Amino acid sequence: MNRAEPPIKPAPSRLFLSLRAAGTRSVRASLALLVLVSLLCLFGPLASPHPYDRVYRDYVLVAPSLAPHPSATEIDQAIEEIAKRMNVAIESRFRNGGVFSATLVAVQPIDLRALRAFERSDVFSRPRVVGREDAGRRLLIETPIKSAVFLFGTDANGRDLLTRVLVAGRVSLSVGLLASFVALVIGVTYGAIAGYAGGRTDALMMRLVEIVYALPFIFLLIVLVMVFGRHFALIFLAIGAVEWLDMARIVRGQTLSIKRRDYVAAAEALGATAPAILWRHVVPNAAGPIIAYLTLLVPRVILLESFVSFLGLGVQEPLTSWGVLIADGARNIQSAVHLLIFPAIFLGATLGALQNLGNGWRAAFGLPSH
Amino acid sequence: MLRLIVARLIGAVPTLFLIVAAAFFLLRLAPGGPFDAERALDPDVAQNLRRIYRLDRPLAEQFWLYLVSLIEGDFGPSLHWRDFSVNELFAKALPVSAALGAEALLAALLIGVALGLAGAGRETGLGARLVDGAAFFGVVLPAFVVAPLLQLGFGLTLHVLPVGGWEGGAWRNQILPVFTLALPQIAIVARLMQEGLRDALALPHIRTLRAFGLPAWHIQAHALRAAVLPALSYLGLAAANVLTGSVVVETIFGIPGMGRYFVDGALGRDYTLVMGTVVIVAALVVFFNLMVDIGYAWLDPRVRDE
Repeated sequence: MNRAEPPIKPAPSRLFLSLRAAGTRSVRASLALLVLVSLLCLFGPLASPHPYDRVYRDYVLVAPSLAPHPSATEIDQAIEEIAKRMNVAIESRFRNGGVFSATLVAVQPIDLRALRAFERSDVFSRPRVVGREDAGRRLLIETPIKSAVFLFGTDANGRDLLTRVLVAGRVSLSVGLLASFVALVIGVTYGAIAGYAGGRTDALMMRLVEIVYALPFIFLLIVLVMVFGRHFALIFLAIGAVEWLDMARIVRGQTLSIKRRDYVAAAEALGATAPAILWRHVVPNAAGPIIAYLTLLVPRVILLESFVSFLGLGVQEPLTSWGVLIADGARNIQSAVHLLIFPAIFLGATLGALQNLGNGWRAAFGLPSH
Repeated sequence: MLRLIVARLIGAVPTLFLIVAAAFFLLRLAPGGPFDAERALDPDVAQNLRRIYRLDRPLAEQFWLYLVSLIEGDFGPSLHWRDFSVNELFAKALPVSAALGAEALLAALLIGVALGLAGAGRETGLGARLVDGAAFFGVVLPAFVVAPLLQLGFGLTLHVLPVGGWEGGAWRNQILPVFTLALPQIAIVARLMQEGLRDALALPHIRTLRAFGLPAWHIQAHALRAAVLPALSYLGLAAANVLTGSVVVETIFGIPGMGRYFVDGALGRDYTLVMGTVVIVAALVVFFNLMVDIGYAWLDPRVRDE
């Protein structure tokens, strides 16, 4: 009986030590990137002048640019469309900085109510009638030009892509966190019970995990999404319900070694109940590896959500997620590459940073990277 | 060896049964039905449809009927494409998906193993850097980003490969989907192979060979046997991942395979079609895991003699 005890390294205090130990440059850069993306997604939509579901009919599939809209051609297009709608001709037009003036001519006297067409456009505001001639057949109007900047361009419905990418980030990140939390709760509970019970219960419970492990997740996930409906709040439940297996295995392994420690024996001798021991002693002492694997789980879950949304089974319009946006970009790849590029960059950066962070963290705990 | 195979096959039966049962009852829990349309059907018509498809029987009886027909190899009629049976749909779709998946898996193995072997040297060498790069892009660029980018680059800009379609499996149509499907697996296989060879080169019997002064290639060849084990055991999971990935790849490239039927079926509540796909996929995964076990036993005598 000379079997070596498996080393039990992690204790809560080590967690913070390991953070310092893992403070290599790439890990710190990843952390900074993640914080940046999260803050942008959280506060960016508030600061943005465009609501995420506001449709700009005059700015469909606008290319990304720093220059403010409208451009000269966009003004021409807009005024010609308005003229068509009002059934008038444009005699002259003139742009002076932020003010646009035009002379409208018609056969019949122009009904002033028709000027509402200006207010409905995304280019002009409420027009002011400066002069009326020919008993109202010639109208000189002045209107301020609305200026808008679309940093990332707009989508096929004329919605600002920057705001949409940031709102999508909120959805993707929160689904990532919530689904990971669901997986965490299920996995830790299941694993701790299996490990602590041991014997036949343990064997049976782990056999079940192995069976579910053999399933292709996506197919199960899609069936679950069908069951729960396509509501945002339920998607993370479905994802959490298929992603708890690794966590259960890890927690079980930790529990197996922790339950042989003296402090557990002491708690048992003092008459502590099994749930109390699991909660007070086992789970806290397994916290290190749990958190380390959690960092691996979050990017996986975000990817899964994007995948499901990409297939049209996830978040529904007008709400959006990175997967939905990428699907949209893939459909419009011929006309507008920016629709694919920007959400892909945000998703890729987030996934890469999380992965990097997880690797650093696991290295600090001396855990394998797979 | 034969005992191992038989034991695994018998062990697979309850697994398959559980999967079929879980999928069957979960699907029926889902709100909505296969005959929901924009306008509600006439109640008599709906009633007749449900009777024809035996959806009015008790759930347990439906399940039993489904199991019986499944054992006879009949997946039942499709509820969405009402002129076709699921078997007819699969007869067309399965060969397409199988070709796609098999080629992707093969490409992933060939490229991944080669990359991993090249990367087992020094940490800072070119090979190791390549493996690191592949691992990074495998994570950062999911298939549904890679695929449109490839379409854009090779199809729309360079005009060398078709953007989509299958054309009965013309090789030009296969290149982009196969590559997209293989890419994430290449990254993982390369990493496993790299770590496997590094670990294997540190084993005692390899050290002995080195002490004998054998040439490097000879030592590597001996180490290879132990080195492929981790990559081999990943193969089952890789098959499942390729099946998963093919859903996206088939959607993007417009390939008439199983993946597209699955998504369409799920959206249209086509119970029999979704069930059929789940059964096929589960059977494939079980089959691949069996192949992995056999391969493992063949390579590792300790497992074989157990």
